[in-house]
Amino acid sequence: MKKLAMFMAVGLCAVAFLGLCFAEEAVTTVSVPTVATPEKPKEFVVYKDKGARDNHFIPSGWMGDYGDIKMNDQYIQNPHSGTTCIQFVYSAKKAQGLGWAGTYWQNPPNNWGSKKGGFDLTGMTKLTFWARGDKGGEVIQKFVIGGIKGAYPDTAEVEIGPIELTDTWKEYTVNLAGRDLSYINGGFSWIATADLNPQGATFYLDDIKFALDSSIKPETKKPENMPFYVYADRSSISNHFIPSGYMGDYGDIKYDGASTEDAYLGDTCIKIIYTGQATQGARWAGVYWQNPANNWGTVDAGFDLSKATKLTFWAKGAKGGERIEEFKMGAIMSEYSDSDSASIGPVILNKEWTQYAIDLKGKDMSYVIGGFCWSTNIDVNPEGATFYLDEIKYE
Amino acid sequence: MKSSTNKNKHCACQCSGASALQLTTGALVTGVAAFFIFLVFLSGMASRPKPAAYIKKLKNGHYQLIVDHKPYVIKGVCYNPIPIGQNHEYDWWSDPNKPWLADGKLMREMGVNTIRVYQCGENPEAVKKVIRDLYKLYGIRMIMGHWLGFWEYPCPGYGENDFKERVKKEVLSMVDLYKDEPGILFWVLGNENNYSFSGQVNPWSSDEIDKEPDPQTQKFMRAKIYYSFVNELAREIHQIDPNHPVALGNGELIGLDIAAKFSPDVDLVACIIYRGKTFGNLFNSLKATFDKPIALTEFGADTYDAYLNKEGQNMQAFFLESQWRQIYENLADNKEGAGNCLGGTIFEWSDEWWKHNESDPESWKVHDTESNWSNGSYYFDIRAPKNMNMNEEWFGIVAVSPDLENGINKRIPRKAYYVVREFWKNPTLGNKNKKKDKK
Repeated sequence: MKKLAMFMAVGLCAVAFLGLCFAEEAVTTVSVPTVATPEKPKEFVVYKDKGARDNHFIPSGWMGDYGDIKMNDQYIQNPHSGTTCIQFVYSAKKAQGLGWAGTYWQNPPNNWGSKKGGFDLTGMTKLTFWARGDKGGEVIQKFVIGGIKGAYPDTAEVEIGPIELTDTWKEYTVNLAGRDLSYINGGFSWIATADLNPQGATFYLDDIKFALDSSIKPETKKPENMPFYVYADRSSISNHFIPSGYMGDYGDIKYDGASTEDAYLGDTCIKIIYTGQATQGARWAGVYWQNPANNWGTVDAGFDLSKATKLTFWAKGAKGGERIEEFKMGAIMSEYSDSDSASIGPVILNKEWTQYAIDLKGKDMSYVIGGFCWSTNIDVNPEGATFYLDEIKYE
Repeated sequence: MKSSTNKNKHCACQCSGASALQLTTGALVTGVAAFFIFLVFLSGMASRPKPAAYIKKLKNGHYQLIVDHKPYVIKGVCYNPIPIGQNHEYDWWSDPNKPWLADGKLMREMGVNTIRVYQCGENPEAVKKVIRDLYKLYGIRMIMGHWLGFWEYPCPGYGENDFKERVKKEVLSMVDLYKDEPGILFWVLGNENNYSFSGQVNPWSSDEIDKEPDPQTQKFMRAKIYYSFVNELAREIHQIDPNHPVALGNGELIGLDIAAKFSPDVDLVACIIYRGKTFGNLFNSLKATFDKPIALTEFGADTYDAYLNKEGQNMQAFFLESQWRQIYENLADNKEGAGNCLGGTIFEWSDEWWKHNESDPESWKVHDTESNWSNGSYYFDIRAPKNMNMNEEWFGIVAVSPDLENGINKRIPRKAYYVVREFWKNPTLGNKNKKKDKK
């Protein structure tokens, strides 16, 4: 009995103890309920097929020469997957006189940052898309993710390009690892220029999507390989920087990046007419080649040109004797600043093509937004000046 | 020096012990006398006082300004206290209200240890009074400059010997007058005179330059003439005043690759830099082209937001703090900097209301808000009409009011005054976080 009583007592104690444990567990469960966290989405689709339920963003933001763009977002011939792809026809006719065009996918449509509509894409590490050209050789200046400004600006801007398309489907990846994707309204965009596509371009896009890929690591910036062209030829995919930074009497400047008048090399050169009329009253003028266009240091987009030891270019005057006060690189200083600057000048141009070099030895070339620049003034060119540039490159 | 003296003594004893018997008495006397003269010479060398201020090159190639035997970081302001309603011709040195007394007090409270003046006044006694007051009352030293005739009409004649001789006489006279004042820190020759090399600003020439068709070669010729002249001045100043360094004043780093060849005798460069938030690669770039220490003797930001059309004290404070951080990062012994910076003088202590239109005396009584020039580096207000964002009358870290206080325009410190004061008290460098992480 004693044993039984003892056994029962131990048994009761055990039951009581276990009960207490369970009771405790029950209390714990009640006080902090375990809510099943939904698995994070591994992809976020921009375009899969026409009308697909998981498409996001609308290709509503037509930019530049928007009259040059035709879009068919239910093109059924030879999609990469599914039943449709998107066809873009860019005529390069400069309907608005700008020489470039592009399309932004936005949310909601036509939202240039004035409304709150961006998605939180935190966790995504890449955007992939498939593209092909109608003939092959079509050049897209760049594909961009984010970058819409305004009252509700995107938290990131990432781009790749220029890209020369092939006539078969090819997948492209944009590395987004380490980027702040907490607010993205401009989900995807492309930009093409008439210079790089003088005959226009017909191209196709399909299966555009953000994805989580833990194998993708944040990109570290690598020094660009040399030679690194600012200008090779009008349609060269090697060109970098845009001649967008007009300064001083900008109304006195006529820029032709596709002059066929006796190019030094290739089929075109740059022809610049400075009329010297002091249209804005500054009595001087000049142009900066920037990356991207119009970047006066507000966008973090400098190239690492650490491998460069000199910047060379060819130049000539229409008559000979035209005086350029300064040819320069770098020296854009703002929120994001060029890491150094170098210049030559004044230079009196010859009538024949002459090569000039800006020595970069010892310079910090790790961050360059302002790739090239010239400036002159009315005092040394009272009749204005017409001059030509070609083969501008870092070596 | 002490050990080498002992070594010589030991050597001399050995000589005298071994050869004494062979020496005549006369020769012995001569030898001993020579030995004592040598000792006296050595002891003279050992006790020669160090200059009051000099630049020391450290083993790691960095530079340090030493003043009264201690490292000295220039924490300064450019000083030109022109009263409201007056212009640059006003001789403030002789102002009976002594504005430097009120300013000196405010400066000391901020932590300023140096002022920079562009050129001294014409009355030597008045100038000495200012130097002494600031030094004795507030411990503030003076960097004294000379324009080297840059603003003379019709042009600075660096290509003419008569002109240069006259300027030299003026400069040496200035040095001679004030070199014994304990409040003098160093001399600055010129300011932005190098901008004349292009022939666009205060153009000057010579027969030889005029004959040269290539403008780049012309530019080089002007630079060679000017920097050689500055070097000559530096050498002569050193002869009459070994106690103070001589600086080459220069706009940006332009032309300093040429100065490296023709101005080797200057002790430092004193640069005028307006690059906004960052000095960029300035310090390393100087090291690569002209390995001399640098004092930033003019830098800063205006406080008028030309875009919003109102005073923007935050903007000025932001730029100045960022600029001082980079100055400190490039002082000697900071491993991550160039180690060639000696400090700087902010442009400027107080607003000058005459600057917008110096030909209209009525406008000297008005604090003009129209911008005078454009500089994209000061990006807060670069979207102002025609990108004109720099307001010359609004660079003071201390505002001046038409109200008078002790006979001078009332001083009202701006936010930058307090922000820089706090930075100097507790300099927070860009690499601070990295150090914390290591701990």
